[in-house]
Amino acid sequence: MRQQRWWAVLMVAGLAVTGCGSAARTESPSGESPQKQQQKLVVWDWKSSEPAAATYIEKAKADFAARHPGVTVEFVAQPFDQYYTLLGTAIQSGKGPDVMLFNGGGQIRDRTDALLPLDQYVAEDKSRLAGWEAFGKDGKIYAAPVTLQGHPIYYNKALYEKAGLDPAKPPATWDELLDSCAAIKKATGATCFALGNKEGAGIQFWMSGLGSGILTPQEYDDWIAGKRDWSSPHVRRIFELWKEAQDKGLNNKGANSTAMFTDIFTVFETGKAAHIIGLMSDIGHWKDFSEFLPPDKLGVMQAPVASEGATPSLPYDGGIGYAVAKWTKDPQLAADLVRSLTSTEALTAFYAKAGAIASDTTIDVSQAGPAVGGIVQEIKTGKPALHVALSSKTLDLMGRLSQQLLSGSATVDEVVEQLAASDRAG
Amino acid sequence: MPVKGSPPSVRPAGSGRTDAATTERRGRRGNARTPTRGALAERLAPYVLVAPAVLIIVVLRLWPLVLGVNFSFTGDGELNGTPVGLGNYLELADDPLFRTALGNVGLLVLLLPVAVAIPGLLATFIYLRVPGNRVYRSVYFFPAVLSPVIVGAIFNLMLGYDGPVNAALGAIGLGPVDWLGDPDIAMFTVVGVHIWATFGMSLVVFLAGFSTLDASLLDAARVDGASLGRVIWHVIIPSLTRTIQFVFVTTMIGMLTSMFGLLFVMTSGGPEGSTYLPEYYIWHEQGQMNRPALASAASTVLFVVMLVVGLLQISLLRRAGRQD
Repeated sequence: MRQQRWWAVLMVAGLAVTGCGSAARTESPSGESPQKQQQKLVVWDWKSSEPAAATYIEKAKADFAARHPGVTVEFVAQPFDQYYTLLGTAIQSGKGPDVMLFNGGGQIRDRTDALLPLDQYVAEDKSRLAGWEAFGKDGKIYAAPVTLQGHPIYYNKALYEKAGLDPAKPPATWDELLDSCAAIKKATGATCFALGNKEGAGIQFWMSGLGSGILTPQEYDDWIAGKRDWSSPHVRRIFELWKEAQDKGLNNKGANSTAMFTDIFTVFETGKAAHIIGLMSDIGHWKDFSEFLPPDKLGVMQAPVASEGATPSLPYDGGIGYAVAKWTKDPQLAADLVRSLTSTEALTAFYAKAGAIASDTTIDVSQAGPAVGGIVQEIKTGKPALHVALSSKTLDLMGRLSQQLLSGSATVDEVVEQLAASDRAG
Repeated sequence: MPVKGSPPSVRPAGSGRTDAATTERRGRRGNARTPTRGALAERLAPYVLVAPAVLIIVVLRLWPLVLGVNFSFTGDGELNGTPVGLGNYLELADDPLFRTALGNVGLLVLLLPVAVAIPGLLATFIYLRVPGNRVYRSVYFFPAVLSPVIVGAIFNLMLGYDGPVNAALGAIGLGPVDWLGDPDIAMFTVVGVHIWATFGMSLVVFLAGFSTLDASLLDAARVDGASLGRVIWHVIIPSLTRTIQFVFVTTMIGMLTSMFGLLFVMTSGGPEGSTYLPEYYIWHEQGQMNRPALASAASTVLFVVMLVVGLLQISLLRRAGRQD
């Protein structure tokens, strides 16, 4: 008898396993009414678990709760390293969070199939927020920007002073930069640039940080619009300067094995390098550096002009933004949550606590020091960053090729040729 | 050898049990000859008993595998779900990054003897009671309990361009080495760290093998005046053939399947893509490049590679078993 019972248990277990296998394919196994499921929105991001973002999330939740009492919002903070892998799996299965955080540019453009166009929901916010372009594709908007991300060139004023240079007047051209760097090297031993290219991200920062000083405004706008002329001598010049900086010893040693996130920022903070092409939000920005470099010692300069006809401008885009999944049950509700997450009050908290340059142009930043002031005043004339226009495949390739340029195992011609081919292939 | 002694003591008992079972079954069949229901149940019983295990394997293993292989013949992005034939496989063959990844698998196979020789030699020294062998026994095993992420983080600091290893090299007048930034060196660095982190386990296996070694053979060799090298070559290695083969197999599996953590932390596949392995490539295409179907194709290729390696190893082990 006992043995028979065991068989029965095994049989049931076996059937249950097969049952589970097929249940995964049906649409709504729980049998809950759509009305009931609506009471909860799930948000995926990698920010909400950070202490610096706590107030921001709190304010956004409060704003949303005031408009939709009774709807619960659950924030699921995923590890950033795995974020797009997890999201890819969710998209593949057509199930997942209602609202999700995205980086602007390639990461969101590659996944717009799974997202809801937000144009009709966020029309009111269009003028208040900046950085929409990074979240758009084919004329539609897929996410509302939370922060702006860009690549200002920060410099260490203390090193300038030690070298007898005027910290209020950073070099305006590439040649002046070379002279200043030579003086700084002589006086302090610090290198010109802090460069971390282990992940291949250094070249992206380089291209965007210095690009406006190399391309003409027309070339720049064409590049962003998708008409990229890789055979232009100015585009070539971006990579030539990258190689030149390495060959002339302007970079710290071991750039290919130094991580951009976050070893290289330490090199800059501790005064081992005079300049760094940094970030505006998240990390590697003014607030991040302030532990070692007080606001009065940190300057922001425009891209040095390296070719005639170039007009330097601040390269920036929407940094991170919240998008709505196509499979969400009530798009209006989810879009309202996105609007709460980009409300002025919430974004002000994010700026104040995390030091991010928020997308909201109405926030007052006068208290934060000259570097922030310098960045914010450039936002009006700023342009999208050059590397953001490239596909993630091309960026990936560019990372590897840039390492080859630094180590000398590829020439500028080979690199430009391969990138052009990859860019044309899409 | 104790191993030789143990099977005879087990087998008679086992065979006795089988005999008993046969007689019992015969007896029962004799009783239940008339009611055919019982015979049917008995015929079906093995299938029913095996069914859950088979179902679990089919549903949770084989079916997903088939789905994955099927998925690798579809496109990505706009072509999601559309059949593209061998498109993904052709793209893989064309991708220098994937070729590097497969090349690195070959490199791992070539480095395998080193990875086996190191714990083997160290275990020999411990067995031969070099001074301080008790301390070494635990010290050698210690890295095996650390997670690859921690090991990677430690060596990232140690091997940084301005890290302590280069500082030490500088102190004795040797130029700094870009351990993780030079594409010709980085893969060897990572494999070296992997061996450091995992050889403790193989060492323990070797020590277990040594415990079966006939000490009188060693004494005889010593009496005959054999040098250490000759003792290792003519006595220890022949006696430990099976242990060495086992360590070869497990080390190979370890190298092919558990390098991801180290690669992720130490090099992210770089520099210049020189430290890519198929696993890392699959993760990269699926998660970072949003190319799940291409990643599926790469997984299928990796599966075939592992299958071939696995079958080779099984046949190797079988042959070794027959020799014994």
